[in-house]
Amino acid sequence: MQDAWTEILITSFRDVASRLAGIGPRLLAALTLLGAGWAVAAVLSRLAGRLLLAVDLDGRCARLGVMGTLGRAGIRRPPSELVGRLVFWIIVVIGLLMAIEALEVPAAVELAPVVIKFLPNLLVAVIVMIIGWLLANFVAEAVLIFIVNAQLAGGRVMAGALRWLVLLFAAGVALTQIGIAREMVLLVFGILFGGAVLGLALAFGLGGRKLAEEALESWLRKRDGGAGGPGGAPHV
Amino acid sequence: MPAAGPPDAAAILSRECRAALDALGPVEVVAGVHALNRAPHVTQLLDTVEAGLDKHVSPRRAAVLAADGGSQDGTADALRAWCLAERRGPARGCLDLVPPIQQGRAVVALLAAARGLGARGIVLLDADMVGVHADWMPALIEPVLAGGADYVSPAYSRAASEGTLTTNLLAPLTRALYGKRLQQITGGCSALAAPLVEHCLESGLEAGAPHGHGMEIALTTIALASGARVAETHLGRRRVDGSLPELDLATILVRTVGPVFELVERYRDVWAETRGSTAVPRFGEAPAVLTDARRPSIERMVRAFDLGMKDLLPVWEQVMPDATLARLYPLELLGPDEFAFPPALWARVISDFAVAHHERRLPRDHLLRALTPLYLGRVAAFLRDASASSPSGLAATLDQIGRAFEAEQEHLAARWR
Repeated sequence: MQDAWTEILITSFRDVASRLAGIGPRLLAALTLLGAGWAVAAVLSRLAGRLLLAVDLDGRCARLGVMGTLGRAGIRRPPSELVGRLVFWIIVVIGLLMAIEALEVPAAVELAPVVIKFLPNLLVAVIVMIIGWLLANFVAEAVLIFIVNAQLAGGRVMAGALRWLVLLFAAGVALTQIGIAREMVLLVFGILFGGAVLGLALAFGLGGRKLAEEALESWLRKRDGGAGGPGGAPHV
Repeated sequence: MPAAGPPDAAAILSRECRAALDALGPVEVVAGVHALNRAPHVTQLLDTVEAGLDKHVSPRRAAVLAADGGSQDGTADALRAWCLAERRGPARGCLDLVPPIQQGRAVVALLAAARGLGARGIVLLDADMVGVHADWMPALIEPVLAGGADYVSPAYSRAASEGTLTTNLLAPLTRALYGKRLQQITGGCSALAAPLVEHCLESGLEAGAPHGHGMEIALTTIALASGARVAETHLGRRRVDGSLPELDLATILVRTVGPVFELVERYRDVWAETRGSTAVPRFGEAPAVLTDARRPSIERMVRAFDLGMKDLLPVWEQVMPDATLARLYPLELLGPDEFAFPPALWARVISDFAVAHHERRLPRDHLLRALTPLYLGRVAAFLRDASASSPSGLAATLDQIGRAFEAEQEHLAARWR
């Protein structure tokens, strides 16, 4: 009885010890990969930041009005730093995936290839959304200024509608890129986009009769020489 | 035989054109006409210019040079035909530009050709001008030839409602920045002495001024900033050609205020030291203040300002600080009969826009177009004041605007990074 009890204890201890001996190096390898990934990420993000500073990305973005748009969204950091951070986190995520792979956890074995395959599409989708967002703000601002300068009412509504239309289009493209319910996204996007365009057309044609009237009046004023200075006099 | 082929001329004029200029021989006075889509009128203008030179500048050897700025209506052919016509009097030359052909480059080509011909002075004339008189040639060039001025700008007799962008923005801002009181910053014509032509060509004049207004503003500013002797000459009434397609106001602001703001950046070291202003020497009589033929629609301008206050605030908030906006809000409550836009506040608005332009807080085109309702508000207030003023009262009003900009100049310099 006592011998059997001792045997069981020793066997259990040996099993646990042997399993721990198997996991230990994998854990150590995972921690090493994570640490190395972090270090490489830090170095490469700094390098990317310096490279972008050298090619004057911040200045170029400022000249294109990107800084203003970022500022309006509450992002005060320069684009070179933002890209540097993006590089950092992409490398950290890759390191994390490698660490999980090294652990050989049965549930996570298939995770890394799937995520790595998905990552480029996600990156493209993020870039599409950023460009769409910048474009939406630029177009909305240009339309708002144009409508106000044409002395038409409803500029904010029109600019807002156009902004959402561009954002909607960008979101549609981004979601299609990452392959989330592609058919459904296309259908929903088609319905929303078509609906928005139809809505705008109806709003302008029916609800916006006054706007259309003002637009025509403004055009006629210009055609009749009223677009000059006060009383038709030159401005300069 | 002068060498009509300095490096800049080689870059801007075709080889055949440079050879033709060489054949013209040394010339003392050049009249340069740059034209854009003026086929029906340009030959008449050239005849007037030629008659002016022939009558008033002889026996000095003179030449009339013409340059097309990229016309689509056959102006270039008209210029070529005019230059080829046999006639006694000043020499004629038609400049063929190396592409891209733009009005700004046409002006540079005229200056480069004048330098190549060894001219002592050049009269530049925009073919958009109507009512040009032969007497304008001596009025513009004589102060230069007599050694009394390096740059002669025109001054016109005008009504209060004419040239409101000049009277309310371009002239007072230039006065505050460069310390000289000029009536016109972009007057359609001017005269330059040879040393100033040389300086302009060396100053990278071509860059960033593809339009006629931008180029004129650049010439005036370079003259002022370089310390050249600037004068103005009275040319009488400035007529406006009603057949010209009128640009929309926002585009006019982009093409005039844009170059002024760009030059503010370039000459920061010059204007930061400017204190006060002085009048420039004037040739001829003092320009008269004329009566407005038509009553300007102040109501429409006030309505445009109110609409801007209602809808453009999200844009203006990126340009102007809260302190300026707080001073603008009460104006929205004023009706057309009591509307006022004090010069000091207007000068602050322009200063804020100049800083925002410099810091690129918005795409520059958006920024300049967003100024339109504010400008119309200011013009409404100005015309309200002018309608109740005598001619001398109007002069005092203009001086008050200039002083407001002068007072703002230090504030602008302090905020400039």
